[in-house]
Amino acid sequence: MTMLYLLLLLPLLPALHALREHEAGRLASSTAAGALLSLGLSLLAQNQAAGPLRLDGVGLFYLLLTDLLFALVALYARAYFQAGKDRESWRFYAAGNLFLFAMHGAYLAHNLGLLWIFVEGSTLASALLVYHKGGARALEATWKYLMLGSVGIALGLIGVILVYALLGGATLDWQEARALVRGADPAQLKLAFAFLLVGFGTKVGLFPLHAWLPDAHSEAPSPASALLSGTLLNVAFYALLRYAALLGSAGLFDFAAGLLQGFGLASLLAAGLFLFVQRDYKRLLAYSSMEHMGLAVYGLGLGVPWLAMLHTLFHSLAKTAAFLSAGNLLLTYQSKLIARVGAVHQVWPATAGLLVLSLLTLAGLPPFGLFYTEFQALLRSSPLLMGLYLLGLLGAFAGLLWPLSRMVFGEGHGVGLGAPPRARTLVVVPAVLVVLALVLGLFPPVGVVERLAEVLSWKL
Amino acid sequence: MVGRKSLDALIRLYALQNVLLALLAFVLAEGERHFVLAGLALLLLKGVLIPRYLFWLLERLGVSHEVESYLSIPLSLLLGGVLVGVGFHVGSSFVLEGARLPEAVPVALGLILLGMLSMVSRKKAITQVLGFLALENGVFLLALAETHGLPLFIELGVALDAFAAVVLAGVLIFRIRTTFNHIDTARMRDLKG
Repeated sequence: MTMLYLLLLLPLLPALHALREHEAGRLASSTAAGALLSLGLSLLAQNQAAGPLRLDGVGLFYLLLTDLLFALVALYARAYFQAGKDRESWRFYAAGNLFLFAMHGAYLAHNLGLLWIFVEGSTLASALLVYHKGGARALEATWKYLMLGSVGIALGLIGVILVYALLGGATLDWQEARALVRGADPAQLKLAFAFLLVGFGTKVGLFPLHAWLPDAHSEAPSPASALLSGTLLNVAFYALLRYAALLGSAGLFDFAAGLLQGFGLASLLAAGLFLFVQRDYKRLLAYSSMEHMGLAVYGLGLGVPWLAMLHTLFHSLAKTAAFLSAGNLLLTYQSKLIARVGAVHQVWPATAGLLVLSLLTLAGLPPFGLFYTEFQALLRSSPLLMGLYLLGLLGAFAGLLWPLSRMVFGEGHGVGLGAPPRARTLVVVPAVLVVLALVLGLFPPVGVVERLAEVLSWKL
Repeated sequence: MVGRKSLDALIRLYALQNVLLALLAFVLAEGERHFVLAGLALLLLKGVLIPRYLFWLLERLGVSHEVESYLSIPLSLLLGGVLVGVGFHVGSSFVLEGARLPEAVPVALGLILLGMLSMVSRKKAITQVLGFLALENGVFLLALAETHGLPLFIELGVALDAFAAVVLAGVLIFRIRTTFNHIDTARMRDLKG
């Protein structure tokens, strides 16, 4: 009972700590400790319920992933900000813990209205993360993110209101809603879902609502970019999971499937094209996130939630590692342009290795996990979609690996470079993530995820 | 709303809109406590606090109080009219069974669309915030019209989110002013592709 409220409020403690204490080392410890404590607590709190909060399998899955990534990124951030001589890292920890609070709320909320509130809250907190210390470009990115995100999510609220009205204003509890939704008018439920898809889809970064995504990811400090890609996109996707299951319960999954598959493929193909024109490696990674969220949405559209969840798990691990390695590049080369980076394998071999491994994962090569989920999704597709899907994957593959080979093995631009920073955390944290992604990819935890996803199943 | 030239008038209009919305909530309340509470919170937060904050912001910014738009006034009025028409046209398909106030649904949709119009057609950052607030009010009106109001704690949470968004936007506008020396979002276009 009280455990859930404790779990919800826990991240606020380090957030308060960050307002008083400005020393990065202590902040990193308290933040990571808070996240790891929540990790343990959430394992104990499974299937508990209290008021509008309940922790079921899907919520637990994402809560664990979020806390794990957050703890690791908090440790990395300390070394990153120290190497960058950034004395204002407390801003990152304060906003980050506020963000974690909103994420906890979203995964614990079992009430669709409360879920909306916390998703919007995570937008606001992450806008602070993107802004960090400011500057013209960060301001522009934050403003764009705040405006687009708020409008998108306001449209999502229309969807929530319509669902509530369709249930006769009886309840917003997800379980109860699924039982009641059978009696709702199908045409109007479809309308509500369209609004929800646009609303939460803006935050997932679905084409053509993705305009904020590359800007925010590239202008945020690297640990914040890693959090955006590894955790923020998931929370909106998680809301879509819930609503897709709601439509499934109403017997309208075919309609939802059409929309989800269409938007998913469109994002995949669009991201595949955008990858080719990028000159900034953080934007490159951002478009790769858009690609993978498109794939996850497509997987959900195939009617296999566990596959989509597994995809987001692998993506989060690999993309966090990739953004952290990109942070190392930025520290070394002081530039985000692909053309200014070269011969990483000589300058900083460990980072080169991490970059290669994480990008190979993201490109979907075997034996990494994303290959497994992409292949499974392919097997379940219809022939026409299969062709488009392969085309998109191929585009993303080439678009990602060509710049990678240029950066890692291309000619060096070592003029005027100091020695790269030598803090071990900068390498250890992404290495842990890469190893985790590799092990999970070799032995995909299909059984576990399937069991956790059971609560979503709508087949009778 | 889409035709006024002065920002002060726009903010006063917004405050008035909220007072009217709160009155509507009171009328619909019929003694239900949570309606009254939601109405009160609305009146305080959106009718008083947010407008005061916006006036204070405008004062401190030291920019002209004139609305700058990509569109001329007649054109915005025309577009606004068209959008309201669209709202009324599609409104009927949004009216759900058992809606409490079906007449208000098209109005809510019109307000949402007008809010969006002012967000995309205005240059000053602060007018975009006003557009967002109008949109938000449209959504609130929709909730009043379609249902017996969202549960109180949800309603309060939503209002709190909106308030936090406005405060955050205000802080950002200050920074935009000090960094660029203007608050014209049309001239912020460094990030592309």
